Amino acid sequence: MVEKWRLLDTELNDAFYNMALDEAIVIARSRGIVPNTLRFFRWEPSSVSIGYFQSMEEEVDIEACNRLGINYVRRRTGGGAVYHDRDGELTYSLIINEDHRLISKDFQKTYETLCLGLVKGLRHLGVPAEFKPINDIVVNGKKISGNAQTRGMNVVHQHGTILRKVDPTLMFTVLSVPSEKIRDKIIKSVEERVTSVEKYLGRGVSFEELKSALIMGFKESFDIELSSGEITDFEKQTALKLKREKYSTKEWNFRR
Amino acid sequence: MFRSEYKVEGGKLIKVQLNKDDGRIGAIKITGDFFMYPEGLIEDLEKFLIGCPLNETIIIETIRKFIEEKGITLLGVAPEDFARCIIKAGEGVG
Repeated sequence: MVEKWRLLDTELNDAFYNMALDEAIVIARSRGIVPNTLRFFRWEPSSVSIGYFQSMEEEVDIEACNRLGINYVRRRTGGGAVYHDRDGELTYSLIINEDHRLISKDFQKTYETLCLGLVKGLRHLGVPAEFKPINDIVVNGKKISGNAQTRGMNVVHQHGTILRKVDPTLMFTVLSVPSEKIRDKIIKSVEERVTSVEKYLGRGVSFEELKSALIMGFKESFDIELSSGEITDFEKQTALKLKREKYSTKEWNFRR
Repeated sequence: MFRSEYKVEGGKLIKVQLNKDDGRIGAIKITGDFFMYPEGLIEDLEKFLIGCPLNETIIIETIRKFIEEKGITLLGVAPEDFARCIIKAGEGVG
């Protein structure tokens, strides 16, 4: 019997709900209410997320975000600041019980195992992706995906982004730079260091095409079946509560 | 408030904000894009460092002790990197 996981596609939501729903799924998984889950989602409005240990004031140009209507949120995972473009980027989450065969005690090894699903999926599209420790996926040395992972409540939670299209100029309008003088330089260097699915393939790739390829990659790489499901009432209610009491609050977002 | 940044070999960035208190660590905030599990213990680590002399070897030992006691895992950063960044902040004028 092939192991059955739940596939969720929660599409467009705001940053606070997106991060709250991830945590809600972790809680539901830890209580055994839901199976292991792969979730795809996107951000509306476009948003910036920062790593657990980062300082919001230092990483994000708050004024630019407010002006452009871009949300900003702190993640429950470490890692760096990410600009989540509504139309340029696909985000995924994996929520897996910690004693699962795919999960190693070694964090680095677990990153690699879980990222392999994405690597395989991207290769199905013709993108020769490779895992690059600690937590990146690259194509010809250029970053196409960043990932972050945590564990707790006997559950491993990894989420990450896959760049479909990339706009470094907008990216560095909302992320802080050490000084205005070097903003152009940073944008140029990002253009050299970062790529996207469409940029590499030189053609349009829809979110549907990208998701289908990734689903195939995860199925093969994890040796699982993925069946489309819905979020439970428990997850929905927990997510709304976490959005209200945690992810949309100043206390959480500006705590460091 | 003294500040410093330290780029770890391999890519992660640590930032430290520090108040000095007679050659020792006063208030301290460690931020950056590294990974530490469980995350919530970063504030306890910062508290644990208060009063520690601004001596690289002692800071490394202090962080190691805390990590061992609490069963913390670090990824992309080592106690030596935190210590280097703290010392760098401590050397600053500000």
